[in-house]
Amino acid sequence: MSTVLEQIEQQIAKLSSKAVRKNTGVIRTVADGVAKIDGISDVMYNEMVQFPGGAIGIALNLEQDEVGCVILGDISGLKEGDEVQTTGKLLSIPVGKGLLGRVVDALGNPVDGKGPIESRENYPVEKIAPGIIERKSVSQPLFTGIMAIDSMIPIGRGQRELIIGDRGTGKTTIAIDTIINQAKINKVGLASGDKSFRPVYSIYVAIGQKNSNIVRTLGALEAAGALEYTVIVAAPAADNPANQYLAPYSGASVGEWFMENGMDALIVYDDLSKHAVAYRQISLILKRPSGREAYPGDVFYLHSRLLERAARLDGKGSLTALPIIETLAGDVSAYIPTNVISITDGQIFLETDLFNQGIRPAVSVGLSVSRVGSAAQIKATKQVGGKLKGELAQFRELAAFAQFGSDLDAKTKAQLDRGGRIVELFKQPAFNPVPIEQQVVTLWAISKGYYDSLEIKKVTAAAVSLREFFSTRKDTLLTEIRTKAALDKDLEAKIKTAMDEWKSSYSA
Amino acid sequence: MAAPKKQIQQLARQLFAMSLAEGRLSAERVVAVLAYLEKNPPAQPIAVLKAYYRLVAAEYAKGQAVVEHAGPIAGNLLASIEVSMSQRYQRPIVAVAKENPALLAGLRVRVGDDVYESSVANQLAGLSV
Repeated sequence: MSTVLEQIEQQIAKLSSKAVRKNTGVIRTVADGVAKIDGISDVMYNEMVQFPGGAIGIALNLEQDEVGCVILGDISGLKEGDEVQTTGKLLSIPVGKGLLGRVVDALGNPVDGKGPIESRENYPVEKIAPGIIERKSVSQPLFTGIMAIDSMIPIGRGQRELIIGDRGTGKTTIAIDTIINQAKINKVGLASGDKSFRPVYSIYVAIGQKNSNIVRTLGALEAAGALEYTVIVAAPAADNPANQYLAPYSGASVGEWFMENGMDALIVYDDLSKHAVAYRQISLILKRPSGREAYPGDVFYLHSRLLERAARLDGKGSLTALPIIETLAGDVSAYIPTNVISITDGQIFLETDLFNQGIRPAVSVGLSVSRVGSAAQIKATKQVGGKLKGELAQFRELAAFAQFGSDLDAKTKAQLDRGGRIVELFKQPAFNPVPIEQQVVTLWAISKGYYDSLEIKKVTAAAVSLREFFSTRKDTLLTEIRTKAALDKDLEAKIKTAMDEWKSSYSA
Repeated sequence: MAAPKKQIQQLARQLFAMSLAEGRLSAERVVAVLAYLEKNPPAQPIAVLKAYYRLVAAEYAKGQAVVEHAGPIAGNLLASIEVSMSQRYQRPIVAVAKENPALLAGLRVRVGDDVYESSVANQLAGLSV
């Protein structure tokens, strides 16, 4: 009781008799999550507007006679004639390490029932991206743990790499695998005591997803021990479109805190197609002119200003972005996909046909590209995997011919066999990222023909056995590969010895 | 066919512009505009009048300081508020007193969209949040 009285006395002592100036307006209409307001003559674009009952709005339409505000939160208590006031502030979100392991909404409020967020700083949700001078070129690798990607479509820290494909092709799985891999690398790196090690913190932004999907993702991250390095910003399908519109920007603000404080972060936007749809809904309700496919004219800017915030900064950290776009019937030439493809530094294209054939991850090597390329690869991966993309391209060409005829020369058969083995090797189960040193030994084995005597169908099992052998009995060798990051003659000789040992004991 | 909202707003703004004399609202001109509208009603006259009324009311409110108070106020308070607000907004402002016991004590002064709050009720509302 005395504590409550003390708190009340402290609050009363803070009261001031100074007059406070407010700029006010009156709600004229409220419909579909948008309020039209008379007055608030001082309001600025994107300013927060305070509604009765604690709801907040963002002023998005400043017209001659009225202001259009999208309302974040519960609108059920609002009515025509209610007074609103400007706040003089832009929308901001709490940031910092206190968000790690937590699930928050687009405004930074916790929704996981684990209590308030500990945060000392707030960052604005809308922020101008870093300029040219502040940036540094991408040269540090970000390992996804997916062999097909790390060897042929490598991603670097500060890059924007789009994950694009039809529904159910494994886009989210690739993103989650990447997050889980960062957590695994973080644990090993931090335990090693290496002072130059830079952990990667992850932010997963769920936009317009089903709540059940978000719970499943949360469970997968928790089970893999990745949640302690991850922030989840959730704007599910049940949220109003304004929250879905803001969630990616809120996530970017969280990531920028890490970047500007000398740390590296990864952000996944899942997915930007739903983000564009939410923005379209808001724009149509605000009576903004619509363009192609009823999207507003600035839908390109919607994504460009978001993705430009991912960068590598000179003297600071980096923010790597993995935006996800869902296509319909594999159409990458549609409006939103082409917009985002032109913004990002490459794309990972997932095909339904490959997925149905059992090739998972269903990465189309021919259509996928990383514009950063080998600058983001360690030397060891370049040494063992440099030729794979070309070999797979030849395989695809020959495979088209092979289905028509049965009389093939020995060279063609060998190329087909080799391509088939590489395709089989890149198959990987979900939520099972492979550390880069294990990828190196796996690819070294195929480059030296260790799988040539095996049936194509048995290559995957052999690769799993190989990695298990190395992780249980040749851990020091793997550590050496990881720390050296390049294969010299001495290291190759050690790998060969270990490989021969495995081969002699392995039976398919 | 109903006139689109934009045209109604445009017409109302034009009528409002005609109601100003030297940048300030003129009662005579407002009467003249209304007389004209009576003789020559536009399409959707009610909508036009509503839009015109909003503009005139907003402009009128800018020239008036509504001083809400709880309990008696000093005689020269209204005059001093008039002087300070006129200085602040660089236009003549007339102070009008309005009793509002809900304030409990203190004042609330409203000039157009701006509200200067120094009431006990507002401070107590801040505590409850």
